[in-house]
Amino acid sequence: MTRAERFIRACYLGAMVIFLLLPIAVVVAVSFSNTRFLIFPPHGFSLKWFSDVLSSSEFLWPLWNSIRLALLATTVATILVLPCVVALVRLRPRFTRTLEAVILAPLSLPTIILAIGLLFFSAQIALGGSFAALVAGHTVIVIPYMFRTCYAVYIDANAEMEEAARTLGAGPVYTFWRISLPLIRPGIIAGGIFAFLMSFNEVPVALFLTNTKTTTLPVYMLSYLVYNYDPGVAAISTVQIVVVIVGLFVLDRLFGVRRIVEAR
Amino acid sequence: MTSLIGRKHTTLKVALLGPLLVFLGVFFVAPLIVNFTQSIHSGAVGQWLQEYKLIFSHTYYYLVLGQTLALGVVVTVTCLVLAYPLAYITSQAQGWFKGFLLFVIVAPLLINVVIRSYGWMVIFGGAGLLNSVLEALGLPSVRLMYTWTGITIALVQVLVPFMTLSISSVLETLDSSVIEAAQTLGASRLRVFRHIIIPLSMEGIVTGCILTFTLTIGSFVTVMILGNTKTMVLPWLIYQEITSSSNWPLAAALGVVLLVAVILVIATKNLMRQRRRSEVTNT
Repeated sequence: MTRAERFIRACYLGAMVIFLLLPIAVVVAVSFSNTRFLIFPPHGFSLKWFSDVLSSSEFLWPLWNSIRLALLATTVATILVLPCVVALVRLRPRFTRTLEAVILAPLSLPTIILAIGLLFFSAQIALGGSFAALVAGHTVIVIPYMFRTCYAVYIDANAEMEEAARTLGAGPVYTFWRISLPLIRPGIIAGGIFAFLMSFNEVPVALFLTNTKTTTLPVYMLSYLVYNYDPGVAAISTVQIVVVIVGLFVLDRLFGVRRIVEAR
Repeated sequence: MTSLIGRKHTTLKVALLGPLLVFLGVFFVAPLIVNFTQSIHSGAVGQWLQEYKLIFSHTYYYLVLGQTLALGVVVTVTCLVLAYPLAYITSQAQGWFKGFLLFVIVAPLLINVVIRSYGWMVIFGGAGLLNSVLEALGLPSVRLMYTWTGITIALVQVLVPFMTLSISSVLETLDSSVIEAAQTLGASRLRVFRHIIIPLSMEGIVTGCILTFTLTIGSFVTVMILGNTKTMVLPWLIYQEITSSSNWPLAAALGVVLLVAVILVIATKNLMRQRRRSEVTNT
């Protein structure tokens, strides 16, 4: 590479990094300002908005809803996905490819369509406005992520250990509990973190299925932004950004970010 | 004996696969079916397909559909142009540098779209970052809030990571000896790029474009925060039909229109892939 080419490459990379991180950095910067309005560059430094946001229940209640929802959706998805992964990898049913496609299908559907479908459907089966409908919707959305990581881990795992356990007289349940489950564990943890974040960030389904009592943090922030411009939203955003970055580091140590995001 | 084992296996398979498939059937397939039936029959006796007749007889709906698809195309093309070099550099990078690039690409993906659109609001706003910088440089201010340009910039930032990852995962598997062979035989860098790297990464380009396009035409949070009624897109219209007008059948029909658009795009991709496969086997 010539010097000119190297220079162009560096400029391009610098511009892309700024482009991708700028909106996030700006939100963090604004959250430390002490003005009542949204002005850039922020004037003064204060933690006022953090103490405001973290001391009133205005944001904390939606935050708690989001955490509850994400934990439940992730748990239900794990319970449903695990047996399926074992069956697909060890028993190789005839329609494995089709089944994979079906389980991953929610990924390619715009979530707004799922959202309105669930709204109509939950009204028909008398689940309308309930937290259960919301959990079901988010479970559908996170199933593909959970499935992909667990499947990727388990398909590489050695079947001989399970066979050895069975030969030595262990029952199928005991073998699953003591051999298979520990083998899939990295996939469950990584898929779990990813699924949690996906549910935690999800807007369309939550927007249609929540009411004032069950509202989630992103939905509450969205409605807050319609009427307010103060940096309160920035403070709660900064808290979330920190959580995500920590989560991402943990995820990378456990599993390698690459393998989760690959081949969506 | 074998039939016994076979039958036992079938029961086992059903028991293991059943719960997930039933769950998806109830909470994924059934809502889509309900959405569809809702859209073709609006309740009144003998009134079928009213909503579709309405949609296809008003220029307003054509306008919104056209704007949605145009936005999808512009965002997809911009993402492709911006993301391809990044994907290439990422696939070639090693060590901490690769880790850094991946972090920069993946971190925005995991931060919700409300926060990111809010960030763009801070940048584009009247007293925002962009205009402060322009003012300091003595340049005239620009208005990007409530414009298609602003929405496009924000959506590109949201979707560049998807495009980059789709392309880089394919480039990662590229056999470097092919490139070396071409170079040894005297091909210029540009020729190598045009005739080897691009064709070999076509799969990733197509996947990335489909993903970006479907995500763009289905997204409305960014448009809601950065746009106004002039920048109407299909998903936002669906949202308004439900929340402001409570016109569920019309919302359902618009949802079906959106779904058909997405299915057409995915079907085209599968068709193209099949044709490419048969071309490869024929030669």
